[in-house]
Amino acid sequence: MIEIRIHGRGGQGGVTLAKIIATTRYLHGFSVQAFGLYAAERSGAPLQAFCRFDAQPITNRNLIYEPDHVIVLDATLVGPAITSGLKPNGWILINDPRFPYEFAEQFPGYRIATVDATSIARRNELGTRSVPIVNTALAGAVARVLGFEPESVHEALEHLGFRGKNFDAASEAYERVIIVDDVDRHGARVTHPVTPTQRVPGIVDGGGAERPVIRTGQWATQQPHRKEWTPPCNHVCPAGNDVQGFLQALARKETDLALETLLRTTPFPSVCGRVCPAPCMESCNRLSLDEAVNVRDLERYAGDRGRAEVKPLATREQRIAVVGSGPAGLAAAYHLARFGYRVTVIEGGSSLGGLLRTGIPPYRLPREVLDREIGRILHLGVDVRLDTRIERRDLYRLTLEFDAVLVATGLQELRSLDLGGGGNGESIMQGIDFLDRANREVIRVDDEDVIVVGGGNTAFDAARSALRLGARSVRIVYRRTREEMPAIAEEIEEAIEEGIACDYLTLPIRIEPRNGDERLTMICRRMQLGEPDDSGRRRPVEVEGSDFPIECDRVLLALGQSADLSVFPEGSEVRDGADVLGLLETPVYAIGDLASNDGTVAAAIGSGRRAALSIHYVFAGEELPGLVPAADDVIRAGSLKMHLFESAPSHHGMSRPAEERRLDYREVHAGIADPSEAERCLSCGVCNECDRCVTYCPEGVLKRIGREFIFDYEYCKGCGVCAAECPRNVVFMTRL
Amino acid sequence: MTTSIELEKSPIACSEECLIRPGNTNCGGCGMSVGLNLLSRALAKAGQRCELVIPACCGIVTAGGYPTTGYSVPVLASTFAASPAFASGVAAVRDLNNEPQQVICWAGDGGTYDIGMATLSAAAERNENFIYICYDNEIYGNTGGQRSSATPVGAKTTTTPSGKIESKKDIMAIMAAHRIPYAATLSAAHPEDFLRKLDTGLHMNGFRFFLIHSPCPTGWKSEPAESIELVRLAVSSGLFPVYEVFDGWRYRINIKPTGADPVEYYRRQNRFPIDAMDLDAIRKHASASNERLARLAAVFPVAN
Amino acid sequence: MTLELVTGNHAAGYALSVAGEANRGARGAACGIYPITPQTEIVEFVAKYPFSKGRVIAVESEHSAMGVSIGASMAGARAFTASSSNGLAYMTENIMVAGFYRLPIVLAAVNRTLGPPWNIWADQGDTLYLRDFPWIQLYCETNQEVLDSTLLAFRLAEDRRILLPVMVVMDAFILSHTQMETELPEQELVDRYLPPLSLPHELNLNRPTTVGGLTWPRETMSQRIEVDEAMERVPAVYEEHRASFKQIFGRDPGAAVSTFETEDAESVLVTSGTIASTALEVVRGRRAAGEKIGMVKMKMFRPFPGDRLLDACPHVRKFGVLDRDYAAGLGGVWWHDLRATLQGPRDGAMVQNYLTGVCGGDVTPAMINEVIDDLLARRSAGKPVWKGIDK
Repeated sequence: MIEIRIHGRGGQGGVTLAKIIATTRYLHGFSVQAFGLYAAERSGAPLQAFCRFDAQPITNRNLIYEPDHVIVLDATLVGPAITSGLKPNGWILINDPRFPYEFAEQFPGYRIATVDATSIARRNELGTRSVPIVNTALAGAVARVLGFEPESVHEALEHLGFRGKNFDAASEAYERVIIVDDVDRHGARVTHPVTPTQRVPGIVDGGGAERPVIRTGQWATQQPHRKEWTPPCNHVCPAGNDVQGFLQALARKETDLALETLLRTTPFPSVCGRVCPAPCMESCNRLSLDEAVNVRDLERYAGDRGRAEVKPLATREQRIAVVGSGPAGLAAAYHLARFGYRVTVIEGGSSLGGLLRTGIPPYRLPREVLDREIGRILHLGVDVRLDTRIERRDLYRLTLEFDAVLVATGLQELRSLDLGGGGNGESIMQGIDFLDRANREVIRVDDEDVIVVGGGNTAFDAARSALRLGARSVRIVYRRTREEMPAIAEEIEEAIEEGIACDYLTLPIRIEPRNGDERLTMICRRMQLGEPDDSGRRRPVEVEGSDFPIECDRVLLALGQSADLSVFPEGSEVRDGADVLGLLETPVYAIGDLASNDGTVAAAIGSGRRAALSIHYVFAGEELPGLVPAADDVIRAGSLKMHLFESAPSHHGMSRPAEERRLDYREVHAGIADPSEAERCLSCGVCNECDRCVTYCPEGVLKRIGREFIFDYEYCKGCGVCAAECPRNVVFMTRL
Repeated sequence: MTTSIELEKSPIACSEECLIRPGNTNCGGCGMSVGLNLLSRALAKAGQRCELVIPACCGIVTAGGYPTTGYSVPVLASTFAASPAFASGVAAVRDLNNEPQQVICWAGDGGTYDIGMATLSAAAERNENFIYICYDNEIYGNTGGQRSSATPVGAKTTTTPSGKIESKKDIMAIMAAHRIPYAATLSAAHPEDFLRKLDTGLHMNGFRFFLIHSPCPTGWKSEPAESIELVRLAVSSGLFPVYEVFDGWRYRINIKPTGADPVEYYRRQNRFPIDAMDLDAIRKHASASNERLARLAAVFPVAN
Repeated sequence: MTLELVTGNHAAGYALSVAGEANRGARGAACGIYPITPQTEIVEFVAKYPFSKGRVIAVESEHSAMGVSIGASMAGARAFTASSSNGLAYMTENIMVAGFYRLPIVLAAVNRTLGPPWNIWADQGDTLYLRDFPWIQLYCETNQEVLDSTLLAFRLAEDRRILLPVMVVMDAFILSHTQMETELPEQELVDRYLPPLSLPHELNLNRPTTVGGLTWPRETMSQRIEVDEAMERVPAVYEEHRASFKQIFGRDPGAAVSTFETEDAESVLVTSGTIASTALEVVRGRRAAGEKIGMVKMKMFRPFPGDRLLDACPHVRKFGVLDRDYAAGLGGVWWHDLRATLQGPRDGAMVQNYLTGVCGGDVTPAMINEVIDDLLARRSAGKPVWKGIDK
């Protein structure tokens, strides 16, 4: 008589396997038995099935304690129980892709065969993905291992009414099973099972309250793990802000924490919350659901409403000079001061802020907001030297006086346009100069028709300022279309609301003075869009013979600026955020627009911060991780479980009516009244402790303690519900 | 936001407050286990303890082999038909002694819709002071998957090999007809609603009935990981209406169906021979059922 | 103590009620009840009783009546119910549970013929067929014995050495509906006899036992062995509580096995229930006439007190067993158990079965005289003899 014991799990078809094996023998005239050890079978629970066959009639009705062979349906079941009572030289057939030698050491003295029945079953679509039914494949392997007639399994399957791909699975396994027959047949450690016979206390003795002893983690074929990803907003933020982090704090109504989160990377949340073009919003995964989260207004909310104290983290001896007090210089000063360095900001003008003060009109960035955020930087103990312009020789002196020098003088060279001889210094001027004078309230343009050339924020700021300074009309001339305008979309929208006209695809050719009065005529040419250029924008192409005149009193040029590097020694190589490669012994950094010409406040802040971190690394050796996250780790909308989110419209901040605001310098935009917009943040790829995984774990073996999640793998059955229900792809499964 | 489950943030899992213990032998992805965990949370939030009465069903197998138990509270196994009777006795003595703990029947659909119907009806009619929770997996799961009167039309079971012809019994209508103080359906896809209604029940007296749509990967022949998604689809497509009934009379719809097509729900479960099913009839029936409930809720609203 | 004229049902209802009331200082009393002829008066009595701390739940079936009592008992209350005939059959599943859960529930059972056909008269088959479950069964002869046995049943059932439910059994109408003088003890005496119930395995929030979950063969067998050991202790413990009953109430509630003139008897009649009264009259007459005959009244059926019967009948060679029941394909249930008892200790003794009053027929002195004539004349035992009808 041959006796076979099958070790399987509920749902794998172990009892059916016993039946198939028995049938193969029954059809060849043997007396057979096939049976299971029945209890409360549960999908995944270990269970046993048995098969015995003999040429003589079988009268034994016992379980099989000392089998001739064992079959293991799942490699996770491989353990000492497998060989309990197994006779020496017996076969151990394991469903596993590995080579039998992998198990030889564990089971000396037994013959071992392996077959990857799980893959075979999956390929043949038997069972579900997580619980493939491997019995027909294993039957094929058994036939080969035990030397049954090759056709016997197909005969049995047909006899039992199996259909379809079960036959293919059996054949495939018959072919693929790996058999190792050359092991030492004398080393078997045969164990004889002992059935316990002692009594167990009954219910009147209070029995029945003990904890379960089954380690259900052994049932698992897969296990959950966690990984956090970089949200696209964090990835693209030029300032390096933890956008997701501050939004989630706001979503929890923790405004102070939101501000504190922002202040780790930027000293200017209230400023950026007003003037940032917010690339985060363009990259927001929520766009694939409805609208981007209104990050800009939320940053403003956190900056304006939050309370957070910033203090130096240490006291350090090194003295550092920062030349220029624009956003890059002040951001660098802020971070260095936080690290404890002795920072001196040197500014050529009479007040701090650089372009934030001179270039951005108060109706977009109220002065008290700017002053408050600068005040927070100065409060860290930063020294200031005003009205101190730094030329090349001054820089050299600074390198002697300070341990490091950061140059953040921005873009001082203004791009111009040769429009011929028309006009004078007053009627044709740089937009940036106009803004500076406008902001200092030393200019008016009453009843003038004003033309602004350009499509950036400076152009719009100048145009809207002109309107507020009495202009009769303001029009913007831009050689591309609205879509290519670098200005913030909202600002374009607001400008148009206020009555500013835009002439798109229009190129100024020249300006001619008019006879008889002080007005000007600007000759323009129509453009059309051609092929994309290096920036990805479609290149405007002039349309021949399309010239036309526009009359005006004043032309403001806002065509952009470029860096003036004359402060550095000849031959210096300027790299953003890194030591200027030059002839000086003291580290000198060029930062901000001077180095990178990114042209946004956020980029300047990021540049200043990176320089500060870099200097800190030079002086203190402290590496500060994660400046720029790897693009591989950025989570895209396709990886989120979007169906778990409901569509909800964005909360847009209120603006004052155009008719009213166009007449004064008070702030146009009112921001948002409450932070509920932050609840729209999907927290892409970052756990926000929504607790769905914890709530839905059927076993209750996923525990969260604060921010820490603990999977109890001893008991986790690997069902995968936690991963399936994690909206943000933080929890995922790996096969065992 | 809908994804955030605003539960008590106390770490219930793995604690003694959790009704089921690690090492229980329920299948992976078991909806009943999820239901028990949510019940644990509701009890913890209400600061209440409970004793369970469980008839023959997967719920009693959860306890596992004597002398161990997968439950952390006292459990009285009842005969299949009689859990409401056993619970009546336990609850009566609890009330005689002015004790605060809840007595909760935790029963499958077989013990509720079928064999236990008379006992359930009688206990409801007497307005016995306990909570009855039916975790409805629409099948005799413990015996390997036979039809019950909760099995939906179309579903293949071992006793309806070509798909069930009859529709699922409307147990909620039956329970409402008893004019019990509270009856509600619960879907794990909407855990806040689930917990809110359990909380409502935990703060009432008299007979309280809950019906949980309880996914069963083994019986439904579905992916264990998709358990919650399946009941979510059942709610969004109107196959499982989520509502509550006060005094058998006043109705409130808690989660409105989104109008999703039920076909996705059926497609993800191998128990449904989808090509052989009259999906149009199913859609019409679901739509009519929801329309009926919506009208009841409009005409007999819950007073605020 | 007052002597009153009451029915057997009244006596049972009274005993159940005052026993329940006696637990008012502990967790009280609760039960499920359901009517069936001829026991209905018992549950009516219970339903009307003004318990200080009790709840009587009128349910929809016998199955649930026992279900409620199981729940109540498991929660620590003193629990009981009553039923009869097909009601017991319908209750059977939960009768098993009460026994295997080791709950000290007392069931007043009125013997009525199992149907169909529809027959409401006395036959012990409805309780005897429950013989294989962990229940103590006590059969009564008088209304007083019903009352006394019911009180004793609680004391016995709740004894920590026993923890088994008890059935107190009486014949339909002959006891249940017959008015007889009966002493109804005051509550104060009952309180003295029945201490507050303290169930060791009562549901306890601080001990999360699962009662009745999946249990493997070895563990289940262990529990069966515990039942076996408790059953073995019953006769001795019964005697203790019988003695204390006598002390408090001044009355003997009856032995597990009572005898008449068995010490020197060569033949005895073995009887139970109300047939014992009639048989005693006849046996007394035959003894007076010089015949060496005695009588045994079996009060306890489970556990089967075979040893006591043998001890009381040292010289008996002929046993005539009167069964008011019929186990199909076998004969009388009492006869069958007695035959098994005699096998070995009394090999060679003759045991003849007489099926008397089966399905409610009246068992008259004349019929018993015929039985004695047959028994004394017999040289060897034959098939069970049906009395009262020509076979």
